[in-house]
Amino acid sequence: MANRKTILRIEDMTKRYGSKTVLKDASLSLKEGELKILIGPSGGGKSTLLQCVNFLVKPDKGRVWLDGEEIIHSRKKELYAYRQKVGMIFQDFNLFDHLTALENVQIALMKVKKKTREDARRRAVNELERVGLGDHIKKYPAQLSGGQKQRVSIARALAMDPKVMLLDEPTSALDPELISEVLDVIINLRVNGMTMIMSTHQIGFASELADELVFLEDGNILEAGPPMKMLSDADCARTREFCSKITELYGNSF
Amino acid sequence: MEELFFIRFEVMPTLLMGLVVSIKLIVPSAFLGLFIGIIIGALRVYGSTLLKKVADGYVLIFRGFPLVIQLFIWYFGLPHIGIYLSPMVAAIVGFSLCSSAYHSEYVRGAFLSVKTGQTMGAKALGFSKIQMIRFITLPQAFRRALPGCGNEIIYLIKYSSLAYMITCIELTGQGKIIASETFKYTEIFMIIGAIYLFLSTIASWILHRVEDSLRLPGFEHYKA
Repeated sequence: MANRKTILRIEDMTKRYGSKTVLKDASLSLKEGELKILIGPSGGGKSTLLQCVNFLVKPDKGRVWLDGEEIIHSRKKELYAYRQKVGMIFQDFNLFDHLTALENVQIALMKVKKKTREDARRRAVNELERVGLGDHIKKYPAQLSGGQKQRVSIARALAMDPKVMLLDEPTSALDPELISEVLDVIINLRVNGMTMIMSTHQIGFASELADELVFLEDGNILEAGPPMKMLSDADCARTREFCSKITELYGNSF
Repeated sequence: MEELFFIRFEVMPTLLMGLVVSIKLIVPSAFLGLFIGIIIGALRVYGSTLLKKVADGYVLIFRGFPLVIQLFIWYFGLPHIGIYLSPMVAAIVGFSLCSSAYHSEYVRGAFLSVKTGQTMGAKALGFSKIQMIRFITLPQAFRRALPGCGNEIIYLIKYSSLAYMITCIELTGQGKIIASETFKYTEIFMIIGAIYLFLSTIASWILHRVEDSLRLPGFEHYKA
């Protein structure tokens, strides 16, 4: 792990809404193939941090490097190119409602990556088959279950060949029975070496898969460390309290 | 009998001539108005602060000025600065701009009703703002704006009769001429009224067909 190169580095990310600071000097770095999981109470800044990383939310302060190159988000072209390399998965999927599953995956390939319709289609079908949706490519989002929608959105992100994936509570909006089909896809990504940051309350899942857990509260990264240490022997009292509560609630395994 | 003969061979051919002119006014104005309306509507939602102000001002003027006055300006006013428009062109310009101001309001509302998640999803994939509007939000907004925009097009059919005020002799203009020659005001204007009713019936039938053809799972309840 030590000699792998750093893919993504975030430094001093700060975001204020009015007088409220929702994210304060958050720094994080990700090595190739690493999975870091953000945990912490809702409203603690997990989503804001993830959205600041690809500038869907403009941070008030903070710098981001991808592959050693700093991203200047005021330069539009650079920003659009950067976002193509950072896949994002949202809690409520954000599939394009007027497009079929296939078109959802295809459209960015055609319009953003300027691939031909045929190439885009082939790639899109491939990605959808990989997440187990080969039979549903002609369906519209309104005709898919939550788990299927989230898998389409993962296929859509993967088709762009991202270097990093940001997953913002990918299973929070799902029925309990549908969670595992999405988690399976994420485990698959992990096994194949995708570099990821994910926020979740699925603590069992987090502890088994993550390289590191990052505990965020009130916009501050209070503590970060390997899952075993964070869950059983955290340095910070607040982390211990949160982890024991959430373990009780969601169980140790998934 | 004599009456029917007169209507069949004197009135109808003249009115049909007028009808052709009316259609030549309505069809381009409807398309141009909708097209400009979409651009203005998009600017009012996604434009920079300055562009938003300019687009708001546009709507204020073209929705606020009486249409007849706008037509007078295009036809009688522009020659003062050396621009001469034919009655037909002046009328189409007037109708398109006025109607675009109304369209833009429906379009704006429809853009605002597109969930923010849709724009987040597009941005996260690397779409530029213009690509995002063109491929993601406009196709959704357009479906929602269509019932309102259809309303405006029906209205356009009827206010196209104002064109005769700037010497573009369309259906109403022709009717007025033969009515004043023959003093058969009631009969002739009843016929004209029926023709407008026929036109707006056809238009609303077409609009419904368009709505149907654009209907998608998840968008059903936007059908009027």
